[in-house]
Amino acid sequence: MKSLVIFTLALLTLVFKAEAQNPAPADSQKSSVLIMNATAHIGNGTVIPNSAIGFENGKLTLIADARLIRLDKNAYDHVIDAGGMHAYPGLIACNTILGLAEIDLVRATLDHREVGEMNPHIRSLIAYNTDSRLIPTVRNNGVMLAQVVPQGGRISGQSSVLMLDGWNWEDAAYKTDLGIHLNWPRMYVAQSGDADKEKEREENQRKKMTRDLEELKKFFDEARGYFLEKKPAEVNQRFEAMKGLFSGEKKLFVHCNYVKEIRAAAEFASTYRLKMVLVGGADSWRVTDFLKEKNIPVVITSTHALPGREDDDIDLPYRLPYLLKKAGVDFAISTDGSWQVRNLAFHAGTASAYGLTKEEALESISLSPAKILGIDALTGSLETGKDATLIISEGDILDMSTHKVVKAFIQGRELNLDDVQKQLNEKYLQKYGLEKAK
Amino acid sequence: MHRFMNKVCLVLFASFIWMNASRAQETFPENGTSDPRNAVYALVNAKVFADASLSIDSAVLLISKGKILDVGKNISIPGHALMIDMGGRHIYPSFIDLFSEYGLPEIKKEHRHDAGPQFLSSVKGAYGWNQAVRPEYNAHKHFSVDEKKAEELRKLGFGAVMSINRDGIVRGTSVLVCLGNDREHEMIIRDRAAANYSFHKGTSTQDYPSSLMGSIALLRQTYYDALWYKNGGYRKEYNISLDEFNKIQNLPQMFEAGDRQNILRASRIAGEFGVKYIIKGAGDEYRRADELKDSGLELVIPLNFPEAFDLSDPYDALNVSLEQMLHWEHAPANASRIEKSGIRFAFTLSDLKNKSDFMKNLRKAIEAGLSEQMALAALTEVPASMIGAQNEIGRLQKGMIANFMVCSRSLFEKDNVILENWVKGVRYKIHDTDLPDIRGNYSLRIGNDSLIRLRVSGEIIAPEFHYFQDTSFRKIQSSISGKVLNLVIQRKEQKQEKSIRLTAVLGSSAKQGLSGDALLPEGKWVKWTAQFDSSLSMIAPKDTSAKSVSRISEISYPNMSYGWKEKPKQIDVLFRNATVWTNEKEGILENADVYISQGRIVQVGQNLKMPAGATVIDASGKHLTSGIIDEHSHIAVSGSVNESTQSSSAEVRIGDVIDSDDIQIYRQLAGGVTSTHILHGSANAIGGQTQLIKLRWGQSAEKLKFENAPGFIKFALGENVKQSHWGDKQVVRFPQTRMGVEQVYVDYFTKAREYIESQKLQDKKVKHASQDPLRKDLELDAIAEILQSKRFITCHSYVQSEINMLMHVADNFGFKVNTFTHILEGYKVADKMKKHGVLGASSFSDWWAYKFEVYESIPHNGAILHRMGVNVAFNSDDAEMARRLNQEAAKAITYGGISREEAWKFVTLNPAIMLRVDQRVGSIKAGKDADLVLWSDDPLSVYARAIQTYVDGALYYDESLDLQLRGNIEKERARLTALMLEAKTKGEQTQKPVQKKQILKHCMDDEH
Repeated sequence: MKSLVIFTLALLTLVFKAEAQNPAPADSQKSSVLIMNATAHIGNGTVIPNSAIGFENGKLTLIADARLIRLDKNAYDHVIDAGGMHAYPGLIACNTILGLAEIDLVRATLDHREVGEMNPHIRSLIAYNTDSRLIPTVRNNGVMLAQVVPQGGRISGQSSVLMLDGWNWEDAAYKTDLGIHLNWPRMYVAQSGDADKEKEREENQRKKMTRDLEELKKFFDEARGYFLEKKPAEVNQRFEAMKGLFSGEKKLFVHCNYVKEIRAAAEFASTYRLKMVLVGGADSWRVTDFLKEKNIPVVITSTHALPGREDDDIDLPYRLPYLLKKAGVDFAISTDGSWQVRNLAFHAGTASAYGLTKEEALESISLSPAKILGIDALTGSLETGKDATLIISEGDILDMSTHKVVKAFIQGRELNLDDVQKQLNEKYLQKYGLEKAK
Repeated sequence: MHRFMNKVCLVLFASFIWMNASRAQETFPENGTSDPRNAVYALVNAKVFADASLSIDSAVLLISKGKILDVGKNISIPGHALMIDMGGRHIYPSFIDLFSEYGLPEIKKEHRHDAGPQFLSSVKGAYGWNQAVRPEYNAHKHFSVDEKKAEELRKLGFGAVMSINRDGIVRGTSVLVCLGNDREHEMIIRDRAAANYSFHKGTSTQDYPSSLMGSIALLRQTYYDALWYKNGGYRKEYNISLDEFNKIQNLPQMFEAGDRQNILRASRIAGEFGVKYIIKGAGDEYRRADELKDSGLELVIPLNFPEAFDLSDPYDALNVSLEQMLHWEHAPANASRIEKSGIRFAFTLSDLKNKSDFMKNLRKAIEAGLSEQMALAALTEVPASMIGAQNEIGRLQKGMIANFMVCSRSLFEKDNVILENWVKGVRYKIHDTDLPDIRGNYSLRIGNDSLIRLRVSGEIIAPEFHYFQDTSFRKIQSSISGKVLNLVIQRKEQKQEKSIRLTAVLGSSAKQGLSGDALLPEGKWVKWTAQFDSSLSMIAPKDTSAKSVSRISEISYPNMSYGWKEKPKQIDVLFRNATVWTNEKEGILENADVYISQGRIVQVGQNLKMPAGATVIDASGKHLTSGIIDEHSHIAVSGSVNESTQSSSAEVRIGDVIDSDDIQIYRQLAGGVTSTHILHGSANAIGGQTQLIKLRWGQSAEKLKFENAPGFIKFALGENVKQSHWGDKQVVRFPQTRMGVEQVYVDYFTKAREYIESQKLQDKKVKHASQDPLRKDLELDAIAEILQSKRFITCHSYVQSEINMLMHVADNFGFKVNTFTHILEGYKVADKMKKHGVLGASSFSDWWAYKFEVYESIPHNGAILHRMGVNVAFNSDDAEMARRLNQEAAKAITYGGISREEAWKFVTLNPAIMLRVDQRVGSIKAGKDADLVLWSDDPLSVYARAIQTYVDGALYYDESLDLQLRGNIEKERARLTALMLEAKTKGEQTQKPVQKKQILKHCMDDEH
C-alpha cells in the first residue's frame, strides 16, 4: 500500500512537471554538509585550490585548505566531493527588477513602475513574486541574492535584498527597505529629432533642467525639515519614508551616467550628509578622485553595453570596471532587468577580459555588492560565521563556455536546481528520443 | 549697426523704383490713356562681366523692353537712348537660384490627431493612389509675385529663381521666374521649368510610405507604372497622375536628395531609369566627392555652414562628436572640393537660416579655396544651363533678359556693396548711389552746448555716426531719407539716458559740414552744427588677415571618429603557428599556418613556405578563425528599418538605405564580425528585401554590399505583425490575428503565381502590339522570386503554430522556407522543420520573457534544433550583442552540451550556409574570402578579444591600430576645440552642445 502511494506521488510529480512549475523552495538546513576538494574562490581575492568547506545551521563553519588541516569527515552528515569543481559565494545582483516584472510587454505582469514623481514610500518588497518563472533560471546561474528596485519617476521608491528561494516575500526577505532610489534629473540637452522645433525644444529642456533640480532640492529640504520636527502636525507618508535617509539607516542610490550629473548628485548628497551609491556611472571613470574623496561606490549597470558616445573608446563599457579598480573606487557589477540577470557572471567575465583579474571580477559580483548593500557581515564571501550561501560550478563560472552550476545553497538550504526551461528541454528531448546532454 | 543701416535703406528704397514698374499687359484692358514705354537705356562706363569668364572694361550695356540690345566696348548708342554713367562700377549677371520656394503658397501640414491608419490617398478625383506622388502639380498655376520677398532676394543679388513646391515625393513642375515687382505674366520666364522629386512624402496624410526605403520603392514603382500607362495602361484606366508623370519626363529633372548618402541613392535611381537628375544636396558632399564624381550627376548645393559649438563647458563639450566638429571645419571647403573633383554645381540660398549670411558664406567658400570664377558661374550661367535657360538668363548677351546687378567693387570683395539689381530691364536701387561722401571727423555743437567730437565712418552709402563721450566713442542711431539725415544721440545726463534728435539736409561734400535743427529731450528746438575737422586718417585696415587660408584636416573615411585617412588595402599575410578553427573536416588545427593573398585564403597547413612580399604574423598562442557572420542585424540603416504601413512591403529594399557611416560597423569589426545581414523589421507579415554586407568600414554603401549574394526577404509572424504592441488605435490593419497572417501569405502567393503566369503569356505575345502590357509590380516581383527560388525567406518567428503554418503554406506553393529567424519555439517543431528542409534556424542564445510569445523560449533551443539536424545559427538583432556573438555561441555549450567546434559554427559557417554564401565565407579553406579574425584566446571563451579582423584580406581592425585611431580622436578634438573656442572669443555666432541621438534599431522599431 505504502509503495503504491509513493508510486502515485511519483506519477503526480511527473504530471506536475509536464505542467511546468517552479520547484518547491528548500527546507532549512537540518544536517551538516562538508564540501571537499573544490577550488574555493572566497570572494575577497583569495583562492584555496583544495578546499574543505563545512556548514551547519545555515552558517559556514569551516573554510580551509584540505591539505593543511586534519578533518573529521564523520562529523558531517553529508560529504560532497567537488574535486575538479569550483566553489563560489552565492552571487549578488544589484539593481534588478526580478520578481516585479514577468513578461516585459504584458502590462498585467508588470509591477516595477509606479505613477508619480516623488515616491520614496513605494516598496519593492511586497510586490516581489517568489513564483516568478524567471527566478529559478537566474539562480541556476549562481545568483542567490538580488536587490529588487522600483523604477521610474524622480524618486522611484525603496529597494530590498531578497533571497532567490522562498515561499513568499516574507520568507525571501534578506534586508528590507535598505535604500531609496533617485533618478537624477538629466543635465544635458538631447537632440529632439524634430528639425522644425529643435531650438524651441532645446530651450524647453534647459528650463526643465532647472525646474527639476529646484523641485528636487525643495523636496529634500522639506523632508529634512519634517525629519527634524519632533511631532509633525500632519503625517506625510513620503517624508516618513525619507527619515531613514537622514538618520543614516538607509542609503541613497542615485541613478545617473553623465559626468555633470554624477558631480551634482554627489554634491547634493553631501549637503544632506547622506550615504550615496552611484548607479550607472558610465562617466564615473572621469571623476574617480572625486568619488574616492566622497567615498561613493558605483554600481555599474552593465558591461555588455555600447559606449555612450560615438567618439568613446570602443571597449569603454568593458573596461570601466578596470578603470575604477585602478583608481581605487569601490564598485559592483550588475545587470539591470529581470531575466537578463542570469548573465551576471558573464558581465564580470567580460570585465576580466578587459583588465580585472578573475578574482577581482568575482568580487565585483559577490563581496563588493554585499558591502554596497550593507550585508557583508552576513554574506558575500566564503568566510566562517557568514551565511552558507554558496554555489558549486563544474567550471569557471565567469566564462559562459565552462559555467555550470551543479549545486547551490542559500543559508545552508540546498536548492532544487530545476526550472521551467529545463523542464521544457527535457520534455522535448523525450519527444524526440534524444539523450540528455551532459 | 550695419544690419540696422541695411534695414533703413530697405525701407527707404522700397518705393524707389526708377522706371514705371507696371507696364501694360498686352491682353489686358487699360484704364485711362495707354502709356507704352519703349525707352532704350545705355549704361556706359561700366566693367561688365558678360559671363563668369569674360569681363569687359569701359563697356556699354544697351537695354530696352526688358532685354539686352547689346553689350560691349564699341557699340553704337542710339541717339534717343537714355545714358547712365556707371562711373566704372562692376556689372554682373544677376544670380539664379534653382531651389527656391519664392511666390508659392506656404505648405501647411494637416495633422491627423487620433486617427487610425489611412491606406489610400484622400485626394478626390482621377489621381494616383498615393498622395505623395503629385506630378500633376504645376507651380506656375500657384505663383504670385511677392514684392517683399522679391526685394530681399534682389538685395542679395538674385534676379531669377526656380520656384518649387517642396511637397511630396513627386512634386510636379516648378516655375522659373524673374524677381521683379511686375505682374506674374511678366515675371514667369518658363512655366514648366523642371520636374521635381524628393524622398519626403511631405504633407501627405497617407500612411505609406513611412520610411526612406518606402519612399524609394514608391518612386521606383511610379516610374514603372508610368511606363505601363504609356504603353497601353491608359486603355485600362484613366489616371491623371501617371499621365502627367509621363508629360513631365522631357523636362529637366530636379531631385531634392539631402545628405551625401541620399545623393548617391538618388543617383542610383537615375541610373536605373536612365534619367539625369540635378540633385539638391545638403552641403556635406565633400565627404563622398569621389563617388559623387563617378555618378556623373549635377549638384545644387547650399551654403549653410554650421555655427561653431560653444565648448566653454568641458563636460557639455563631450556631447559634441568629432563628426560634428569636423563638419564645422570642412563645410566652407565643400564647394572648393566639389570644384576640384570636376562635378558641375550651382549654389542655392535654400537651407540657409539667415539669408543675409549668403554673401558672407560665399566669401568663406572662396577663402577655403573655391575659385571666384566658379563661384560666379555657380550662381549664374551654370544654374541657367542646368535647366536649359542659358539663352535667357545667367549671362549678359544680346537678346537675353536684362537681369544684372551693379556693384560698388568686385563682386566677392569684402566691402563690395550691391548697389542696384536690374530685373527684366527694371532698375531696382538697393542703395542710393547719389549720396555724397560725408565721412570724416567733425566738431559738433548742439545749441549752446560745448563742442563734442563726431565721427562719420563706414561706407558712403551707409555712413556710421559716433560721438565721443567720457572716454570712448558711442554709437549714434542714424537714417538717411533722400537727402535728409536724422540722428538720435543717446546721452547720459544726471545718470539718465536722454535722447536728442538731430535733423539736417546733406550738402554735396563733407567739407561743407553738417547743420540743422535739434530737438532736445525737454522738447525745445535748437540749432546744431558740425564743423568738418579732418578726413578719417585711416579707413579701417583692409582685412589684414586676408587669405590666411587656414589649413584644414584631410578628409577621413568616414569623416568622423575612427575614420581612415587611407582606406585599408588588401595585404598578403602569413599567420604562423596559430590554433586554426577551420570549420572544415580538418577541424581545429594546432600550430598551423594560413596564407592569404589578394583577398583570398591561399593555403592552410603546417610550416608553409614563406611567400615573397607577405607580412608574417606570429600567431602562436592565438586562435585564427573565419569571421563572424550575423544573420540578423539592423545596423547601418538610414531611416526606419520598417516600412510598417502595409501588411506586405515586399517592394522595399534595405539595400537602398545602407548607412555606410554607422559607427557600429567599426565597433562590430572589433568583435570579430565580418559580414552582417541587414534585415527589414518585423512590423508586417511580408517585410522588405534584405541586404548582406561586409563590414568594409570607410567604404561607401554600395561597396559594403556582399557581391552576388542571393537575395533574401524578411517575413514576420506573431505579435509584431498583428500589431499587439502598437496601441489601441492600431486595430484596423489586416491581419490582427495569426489566423489572418496565414491568409495574407496565401493571398500574396496566389497573386504572385498568377503574375508569373501573366508574365509568361506576355513573353509569348510580345509581338502583338495590341496586347495590353503587363504592369511591372515590384512587390509581386519579389514574391514571385520566392516561388521561383530566386529569393529566399528569413522569417521572424516565435511560436510553434505559426512556424508550422508557414511551412504548410510553402509546401502548398512548392517552395521552401529558407530561414526561420528568432525561431525561439523551433525546438517544439524541430522534426517538422527538418522534414520541410529548412536551411537555417537563426536564434538567440538565451533571450526570453520579453513578450508573451517568448514565454516558452528556452536556451536549449539551438542545441535541440542542431541535434535534430537543423542548421543552427545564433544572431544578435542588436548592435551591442553583435560585438560578442562569440560569447553567445558559447552558451550553446553551457545550455545544450554542444561541442566547442560545433558551437563555433553557430556564428560562422552555419549562418554562411543559410545565407547561401558558404562558397565564399564561413570557414578557413583555400579559395575562400580572407575574412579572418585573430583572437587572443579560445574564441568561445569570455576572455577572448579580437586582435585583428580582416575583410577580403584587408586589415579593418587591429588592436594597436585602434589605439592610434583613439589617439587621433583625442588630438583632433583638442585641435578643433581650440579653434571653436577661438571662434567664440572672436564673437562668432555659436551653438550650444546637444547630445546626438544614438540610434539603435531592432525588429520592432517603428516611427510611431
